[in-house]
Amino acid sequence: MTGMRGLSVFISDVRNCQNKEAERLRVDKELGNIRTCFKNEKVLTPYKKKKYVWKMLYIHMLGYDVDFGHMEAVSLISAPKYPEKQVGYIVTSCLLNENHDFLKLAINTVRNDIIGRNETFQCLALTLVGNIGGRDFAESLAPDVQKLLISSSCRPLVRKKAALCLLRLFRKNPDAVNVDGWADRMAQLLDERDLGVLTSSTSLLVALVSNNHEAYSSCLPKCVKILERLARNQDVPQEYTYYGIPSPWLQVKAMRALQYFPTIEDPSTRKALFEVLQRILMGTDVVKNVNKNNASHAVLFEALSLVMHLDAEKEMMSQCVALLGKFISVREPNIRYLGLENMTRMLMVTDVQDIIKKHQSQIITSLKDPDISIRRRALDLLYGMCDVSNAKDIVEELLQYLSTAEFSMREELSLKAAILAEKFAPDLSWYVDVILQLIDKAGDFVSDDIWFRVVQFVTNNEDLQPYAASKAREYLDKIAIHETMVKVSAYILGEYGHLLARQPGCSASELFSILHEKLPTISTPTIPILLSTYAKLLMHAQPPDPELQKKVWAVFKKYESCIDVEIQQRAVEYFELSKKGPAFMDVLAEMPKFPERQSSLIKKAENVEDTADQSAIKLRAQQQPSNAMVLADQQPVNGAPPPLKVPILSGSTDPESVARSLSHPNGTLSNIDPQTPSPDLLSDLLGPLAIEAPPGAVSNEQHGPVGAEGVPDEVDGSAIVPVEEQTNTVELIGNIAERFHALCLKDSGVLYEDPHIQIGIKAEWRGHHGRLVLFMGNKNTSPLTSVQALILPPAHLRLDLSPVPDTIPPRAQVQSPLEVMNIRPSRDVAVLDFSYKFGANVVSAKLRIPATLNKFLQPLQLTSEEFFPQWRAISGPPLKLQEVVRGVRPLALPEMANLFNSFHVTICPGLDPNPNNLVASTTFYSESTGAILCLARIETDPADRTQLRMTVGTGDPTLTFELKEFIKEQLITVPMGSRALVPAAGPAPPVAQPPSPAALADDPGAMLAGLL
Amino acid sequence: MPVAASAIYFLNLRGDVLINRTYRDDVGGNMVDAFRTHIMQTKELGNCPVRQIGGCSFVYMRISNVYIVIVVSSNANVACGFKFVVEAVALFKSYFGGAFDEDAIRNNFVLIYELLDEIMDFGYPQNLSPEILKLYITQEGVRSPFSSKPKDKPVPNATLQVTGAVGWRREGLAYKKNEVFLDIVESVNLLMSSKGNVLRCDVTGKVLMKCFLSGMPDLKLGLNDKIGLEKESEMKSRPAKSGKTIELDDVTFHQCVNLTRFNSEKTVSFVPPDGEFELMKYRITEGVNLPFRVLPTIKELGRTRMEVNVKVKSVFGAKMFALGVVVKIPVPKQTAKTNFQVTTGRAKYNPSIDCLVWKIRKFPGQTESTLSAEIELISTMGEKKSWTRPPIQMEFQVPMFTASGLRVRFLKVWEKSGYNTVEWVRYITKAGSYEIRC
Repeated sequence: MTGMRGLSVFISDVRNCQNKEAERLRVDKELGNIRTCFKNEKVLTPYKKKKYVWKMLYIHMLGYDVDFGHMEAVSLISAPKYPEKQVGYIVTSCLLNENHDFLKLAINTVRNDIIGRNETFQCLALTLVGNIGGRDFAESLAPDVQKLLISSSCRPLVRKKAALCLLRLFRKNPDAVNVDGWADRMAQLLDERDLGVLTSSTSLLVALVSNNHEAYSSCLPKCVKILERLARNQDVPQEYTYYGIPSPWLQVKAMRALQYFPTIEDPSTRKALFEVLQRILMGTDVVKNVNKNNASHAVLFEALSLVMHLDAEKEMMSQCVALLGKFISVREPNIRYLGLENMTRMLMVTDVQDIIKKHQSQIITSLKDPDISIRRRALDLLYGMCDVSNAKDIVEELLQYLSTAEFSMREELSLKAAILAEKFAPDLSWYVDVILQLIDKAGDFVSDDIWFRVVQFVTNNEDLQPYAASKAREYLDKIAIHETMVKVSAYILGEYGHLLARQPGCSASELFSILHEKLPTISTPTIPILLSTYAKLLMHAQPPDPELQKKVWAVFKKYESCIDVEIQQRAVEYFELSKKGPAFMDVLAEMPKFPERQSSLIKKAENVEDTADQSAIKLRAQQQPSNAMVLADQQPVNGAPPPLKVPILSGSTDPESVARSLSHPNGTLSNIDPQTPSPDLLSDLLGPLAIEAPPGAVSNEQHGPVGAEGVPDEVDGSAIVPVEEQTNTVELIGNIAERFHALCLKDSGVLYEDPHIQIGIKAEWRGHHGRLVLFMGNKNTSPLTSVQALILPPAHLRLDLSPVPDTIPPRAQVQSPLEVMNIRPSRDVAVLDFSYKFGANVVSAKLRIPATLNKFLQPLQLTSEEFFPQWRAISGPPLKLQEVVRGVRPLALPEMANLFNSFHVTICPGLDPNPNNLVASTTFYSESTGAILCLARIETDPADRTQLRMTVGTGDPTLTFELKEFIKEQLITVPMGSRALVPAAGPAPPVAQPPSPAALADDPGAMLAGLL
Repeated sequence: MPVAASAIYFLNLRGDVLINRTYRDDVGGNMVDAFRTHIMQTKELGNCPVRQIGGCSFVYMRISNVYIVIVVSSNANVACGFKFVVEAVALFKSYFGGAFDEDAIRNNFVLIYELLDEIMDFGYPQNLSPEILKLYITQEGVRSPFSSKPKDKPVPNATLQVTGAVGWRREGLAYKKNEVFLDIVESVNLLMSSKGNVLRCDVTGKVLMKCFLSGMPDLKLGLNDKIGLEKESEMKSRPAKSGKTIELDDVTFHQCVNLTRFNSEKTVSFVPPDGEFELMKYRITEGVNLPFRVLPTIKELGRTRMEVNVKVKSVFGAKMFALGVVVKIPVPKQTAKTNFQVTTGRAKYNPSIDCLVWKIRKFPGQTESTLSAEIELISTMGEKKSWTRPPIQMEFQVPMFTASGLRVRFLKVWEKSGYNTVEWVRYITKAGSYEIRC
């Protein structure tokens, strides 16, 4: 670089600039100069070219755009002399990235340098590829780089770079390194003596192993060898020792690679490895020197994760925990942070919890650390380590901390405290206490979910109700209480206030006056709750209290003209209802129990969690369903005194096993509604729908007439369904179920339509394959946003929906192909979960996809010669099933024949001598079964068209059953009828069939009769 | 009166504080660091004169190589702040006798501190008139050698200056030769489409005076503006002259002008301050005489070549001439080579502003000259953005020409002693932002 005067003058000019502006002017001037020079027709001398390219690099480093002259830079790569080649390589790797087309021009030159004999050129080329090599490079250079890496004649310097270069190529294109041959070579490479080459090879190994650990299992013992060499034998040259630690980088990489192997089978290797790990664990301590600490801790924490990964024996684990405990008590915040974080990770390993618990006090102290990141880790750890034995302590500690915690943490803190209280409550009254305290102390940070949850608990646990009510009453005595507290108290007192009636100060009118005091201080969303509470108080007042009635009516009157529709509606309706007497009692009867589902709090916590992979929360959530709710479920519905003691207390010391044993009943209970958890908790609390209608029905008919289904009292329903619920529904055009049934029988039509969108479908079927196209047409003049379509496929179908665009432009139609493959026969239908946003409204719909069983049938006309041998060959259940179907929709025979034909079951006329009988045949296609012949016979009774006898035979028992049920469904349901009429689809007991005697004669009728 | 400043900083272009004065405690001392990191070191500098950072507003302007920054934390009167800065700079200039720049500040920091104490009190602006302040702050600035030597002045009566009827003029002035200089300076702002349609056009003008008059003279100025002429013709009950009348908008006067008389008689009469001052400012939006017409044609020939042809025509009187004409023709950033042919003047490519700069020293009226250039571009890696074609800019000065057509009809001086005066009148028209789209 010496002797380039222009360059040094330019640099000193730039450095001498007084301000940014002057610098920009100088740089722009220089760029203009360079442009002029590059544009000149005269060929630049290599010296000049080199000088200008250096200047370009300098300008690029200063942060200015240099968008020309790349050609010159790339051309310098092929220069014969080192100074020019060096500029070419350096500038190319700085200015270009792997996606530039210019790089393709350089591939060949780079390759020549790599396979050339000049070491410096090799190094330059390898560095370039290692930095900006893309797929093209990977394809053309990988073999050469591999050759360099294993070549024995190359110097370590080159091989080191080759290893890193190969790593880059592998990352860009994993196929660049073919597994078969390379695994052995890789193992050989790990025997390398030179630590530089070894370190870069290990980096490569980590990448390879993370992709495919099986192929490289031969490398596993080598990694252990390396660790032995470094940590035990300390066989390391001086220059690779960092503060007395033998090459910490290599150690870390080797251990990282080991973590990609699932386990270590070979006992001797395992033993050797544990010996090394033991040594690392024992030998690491906190020292003064920061650099040494950093290095040794990097090794240590890698060792810890390896220990966790390998599921070491308990002794070693406890050693780890002890070590971490030491770290937690260190003053240095970095180390403390690491200690806490790793302890949280240790929690994943189940049997160290008891050991960690020994450090509980230390962890609680960390909660008061001045450093917020440490406090967060401590909170995480506390949350993770909490179980029944220490829940009370920890939750109390968290509550105490809540009042001093900074605002940014309070929400998380209160959420976690609420979850812990819920999960590990020794008794439910404690839980109620905790949550009420929580709301009292940090009302602003208590999300709605938390108080919804406590209300659910109280509702589902009868003996908790009086306690909760009295607690709520107590809190109301406080002078200033948070609005959330008003909500909870109002709800609980409304429902269960009458249970307290005997206590002093708890009569209905007193409750009313104390609640009514709060009314001026609360915001609009709370007023409806209070109104409901007033109505309930009024209803529960025994004997009827005219005084109270007057007051309550006055309130209702006042809100009759409220501007908020929700409040107004409630006021009017409650007022009218309260005049009705017994009907009033009916409508405002106690809320029924809530259906059980996963705590929304835990779900929320999962979402909140940032470091999801190491989060103890997630793990917890998976391992332990809420004990408390399980208890609530076991309780008989009719309100017999429930067992208050949680099963956990019955002597078992291991809460996890209990939790696991409990998870089963809980699981089955929640099976009622596995896929459709109602997303809106508020609707759980306030909407009768979630309770009275079976959840499945709600979701299926989400867009049907909501009020008409399952809600006996129209008025009551609309009063209690919160406003939020209603925003979701749009007026549908046409009936979804009807459209679906129509589409079952034809291949194109409209699947769904509302004022904003129309979804049409067009299908082609061939064998077990199907290709559907969804046409989504926006009917508006404004775009529909957040469009999402998700297929929930049943097990027997493989569905592949190509991505749906997020936005549908106004008045536009988008198409989305959907590939269907039938794997097994089944009648289940795929569901399309479709949602979009129009303005602020989110509209979602669950639509059944008409990929029904009959779509995989292909019509087949058989003659009697073909039919009967087949019919005979299928003998008896489970291949041939017969059933008498009653309640059939009366159809004339030709109509029925048409119906059959429409779902691809071909009627073969004239086969059966009895004109009242139909014989049909078809072929079914699926991936597992291939093509199967299906035969069916329907015997109708001309006197009673509502019943018939049906026999279905195929070569596959499942198919027989499914097809029979399918035909039955079709016969019973009017195609436009709702599915609700279908009788429960249980395996109907097959009608006993007389064993078919040998064929009698050539009379087909007689033959058939004999067969049937 | 609203607050104008909580603190004032003088920074050089590197962001070093030259001088600062804090008037209130509501802003921290480190606020200037925020200014430096958030405003000076970003590209936004110069885009927006008022920025809010961390609850404080920064009101700043650049004058030569100094940034003057006013920091306020309350809801301040920004216009007042800017006016204060402008006035303060004028004050400093009159003290230093000439330039206001980094060196002048360094040389006069004691004086500046003293002035800063005087001209603002707890964030409220005070008297900024140089004439008056010079009476009390007698410390001399370090004058440049070119400025005139100060004369001995009698010690004035302070209270009279502040409270008297004519606060801006001292009594007992005496000159051997009584002279008045009057300059009308106009700057033309223009935006023209490539086809020659005027999109926006206005003229801002100033009437500047320099008085060397003895005693307490009463002056009366007559212009050919519409209101004045109408009033005159009405008073003298004779029809208005057929000559052109000018309609002035947004007229503002120096405080010495007697506004009651202006309202009743529509004449500008005043007792002038001694020395130099700005008598009035005005704006004209209609009937503007444009001094130059520009006809550009720019052709892009393929990806790497362009042809530029610009014709400039002077449309003022043939006897007049323009000085210092500069035409800046923007070209794309990737310009590599240029080739010029010009009929007059000189042209070159300036890569730091991405313009072809064409300079013509003297441009006679009623002539035209052309520039034609061939431009070669270098190919770039960046995504092909179409060139935005910024407008052509022009600078010029035309003496003895007013774009508005404004003329001084008379300037009468009346003093009790009845001496004779000599009046000098000059006109000059400059380019403001004179832009032609291409």
